[in-house]
Amino acid sequence: MAYFMLFLGLSFVLGSLAVASNPSPYYGVVGLVVGSVVGCGWLVSLGVSFVSLVLFMVYLGGMLVVFVYSVSLAADPFPEAWGDWRVVGYGMGLVVVVVVGVVVGGFVEWWKVGAVTVDGGGMFAVRLDFSGVAVFYSWGVGMFLVAGWGLLLALFVVLELVRGLSRGAIRAV
Amino acid sequence: MALMHLSFYSAFILSSLGLAFHRTHLISALLCLESMMLSMYIALSIWPIENQSTSFTLMPVLMLTFSACEASAGLAMLVASTRTHGSDHLHNLNLLQC
Repeated sequence: MAYFMLFLGLSFVLGSLAVASNPSPYYGVVGLVVGSVVGCGWLVSLGVSFVSLVLFMVYLGGMLVVFVYSVSLAADPFPEAWGDWRVVGYGMGLVVVVVVGVVVGGFVEWWKVGAVTVDGGGMFAVRLDFSGVAVFYSWGVGMFLVAGWGLLLALFVVLELVRGLSRGAIRAV
Repeated sequence: MALMHLSFYSAFILSSLGLAFHRTHLISALLCLESMMLSMYIALSIWPIENQSTSFTLMPVLMLTFSACEASAGLAMLVASTRTHGSDHLHNLNLLQC
């Protein structure tokens, strides 16, 4: 099971590398989808399934879907995939940076995996993350209202940014 | 550093470097921002697990809420840029160039 966790951790880094090496956005979104799926698997392996499902539905099913639609605005006649020499050079450079950072930082107790699960605490009717997020509606109701207000304001921000015509904020003419 | 912490830590560093060394498209930079948000979500989710404290589970959900606001603002700017310049190429955003 520890090897599965290590595989998920490595896949998470590889998904992030696929986005950071800046290929054409059609291929960058693939890296983000892989990274979020692997991240959800990681959280499920640790026992917190609710935050994993929240990530799946809100991030992958909400935000990334909108990003995939918006990628249609970024059309290249010849999209650069990960086999292109520019993208490969970027990827190798980023890997070198991370390796140098790890070596310079020092391998302090690197053999420890560092993963604790919530399954070993006994039998509970409600898991750790379910009861934790339920605090959002009881003691955290102030932040709940602030977050809802922020989301409502974001709608109006988007409306004003894309309004255009002669009263828009971003116009060249 | 524990290996799993190294995983989301290096994912965050890689995404921020990808944001700094962006190349052609604005949406590639926005995707790197989203990848940073994803690694921060994983990091904030692991915190209550390691400390076995329930109430900190609220943090990643709240962070995801504000990340959704930020992503919507970024995509609105992408749409505005495409409607103005015809593409989202970053070399078109040169008003501050000397």
